[in-house]
Amino acid sequence: MKLPLPPWVRPRALIALLATCAALALGPLLHSDVYIHNLLTLTFIGIAAALAWNWLGGYLGQVSFGHAAMFGLGGFVAAKAEISMGMPMVFAWCFGGVIAGLYALVWGHPTLRLRGPYFSIATIGVGEATRLVGTYWDWLTGGSSGTSLPMHPNLKFTLYWYALALAAVAMAASYALRRSSLGLALLAIKSDVDAASDVGVSSTRLQDLVLFLSGAMIGVCGASYGSYFSYIEPGDMFGFDRSISWVLMGVIGGIGTIAGPALGAIIFVLLRQYLIASYPQLYLGLYGILLVLVILFEPLGLTGLSLRVLRRARPDLIVSGSET
Amino acid sequence: MDRFAELVIASVLLAGLYATMAYGLGLIYGVLRIVNLNHGGMIMAGAYAGWYLHSEYGIDPYLSLLPVAAVSFLLGIAMYRGLVHRLPRGAAGGVQSLLLLFGVWLVMRNVAYLLFTGNDQTLRTSYSTRAAVLAGALVSVNRVAVFAVALATLIILHILLTRTYLGKAIRAVAQNPDSCTLVGIRVERIYALTFGLGTALAAIAGLLGATLFPFNPSFGAGELLKSFVVVVLGGLGSVAGTAIAALILAAVEVFAILFIPAYLTAAVGFVLLVLVLVLRPGGLFGQRVLG
Repeated sequence: MKLPLPPWVRPRALIALLATCAALALGPLLHSDVYIHNLLTLTFIGIAAALAWNWLGGYLGQVSFGHAAMFGLGGFVAAKAEISMGMPMVFAWCFGGVIAGLYALVWGHPTLRLRGPYFSIATIGVGEATRLVGTYWDWLTGGSSGTSLPMHPNLKFTLYWYALALAAVAMAASYALRRSSLGLALLAIKSDVDAASDVGVSSTRLQDLVLFLSGAMIGVCGASYGSYFSYIEPGDMFGFDRSISWVLMGVIGGIGTIAGPALGAIIFVLLRQYLIASYPQLYLGLYGILLVLVILFEPLGLTGLSLRVLRRARPDLIVSGSET
Repeated sequence: MDRFAELVIASVLLAGLYATMAYGLGLIYGVLRIVNLNHGGMIMAGAYAGWYLHSEYGIDPYLSLLPVAAVSFLLGIAMYRGLVHRLPRGAAGGVQSLLLLFGVWLVMRNVAYLLFTGNDQTLRTSYSTRAAVLAGALVSVNRVAVFAVALATLIILHILLTRTYLGKAIRAVAQNPDSCTLVGIRVERIYALTFGLGTALAAIAGLLGATLFPFNPSFGAGELLKSFVVVVLGGLGSVAGTAIAALILAAVEVFAILFIPAYLTAAVGFVLLVLVLVLRPGGLFGQRVLG
């Protein structure tokens, strides 16, 4: 039997993704370690968020330092929808995601139209302004005392599979956004907007599409994060270090690569758990030093490093570095 | 009438600080085509330097301006030589330089946090609360002094850029670095000097800002955004354009206090930025900043 796959899907990649997901989905049936179970849940949310950040920061080359704005908005809108309107959890997540994506369009559409670093600088302002508004907007966020979500027994346990599905969807979308003809168009926009438009790529619409997808996915991540902790608070949800963490995940794993940010998210969660948790007053500086070192010595992060190792080990193989 | 005059004077006085702040960012962008995301970090560093010299050694902040500027100038050159210089130029280096300088900013914030804790600090001098009557309005003496220093800095800068060999070389490199190499300008040196100059301007602005506002290690993030708004509004390379843009931003911010709650004033600069980007993408004065 031959599956009707689009030509840009490599069967090997599809099998690898499905096998990994199956193994991870069955994992909790084999072990009963709650700590690992919860750590993995948070890692999945981190992976989905890092990949969504990478659609903008990597595929389009528009680095965002303020994605926490959409994370928080998605989280609070979903919480509000669940509490006040009695929406089922997954619908509330999607609703939060759509609102977050639209919010990203509102400020991102005008700033993305211009080339260069306008967008990146604007994101710093958006992140900060949204955090301030979020802290004072009692109706939506509950102000600085935050919002509590309805608790269900076992919800935290079952969220593992929801988060896994979220990460899998993000991974598949990352693959599609790079390997399909859409991915080629995005690459063209990244290297030269004018030339891309000249050959018939509708840059404006595609940039907006990626912006919306990225914002919506981050919003869903925020919503699932809210359901997981069942209590959210604006200072944490909209926090600046949250935005930086995705930048760092992308940079560690390899900006613009398909799976790099997922790898970066795993490393980051471990790093945070074992190293940064013991030195809470040093974490910003550690993030900064990591950023500087990676950018100076291996701009493509771990993906670049592994490509380099692979090339040295097997010079006879032609290893494609098309991700650059 | 009195209230109106007071607000106008407040805007003008604030605009001086904004212009100094923005010019450092615009200068580096205009010559190196790099956005110095560490601009905010240097503003914060300048603020702490002035505060530390005043509280530990009792040095008046206006006396410490020159030494702080000199040290920041050298620090900027070191940062260029040690870090920025190693990145590829052009589009590929754009994202990398953003991330690199952002990393430097995070490190500086953390260092400030470790040295001085995260608490808000204020730089209080004997004349901090003194006021004088100017054109029928009560004006803080310190604010006038900040304005005077900012104005002097801008005038010196203008003379430096238009009348000296160094200034002409800087402007030439901004226009076409390749041709500059041909006529014997050492482009790398100009880059390093420009980066130092922009960094020093940030530190001066930070020190001046510290005499007006409370600050903590994350001071500078809002200032970076304001600088950027001014650069976009006023275009690159013109001191007059920068001054007018700074005046517009300051006036919008000051008058916004009349209409919106105080916590929203942080968003005013950003809304102005988006409006300008949508309505006049080339900046108000027709010089395209980017693209």
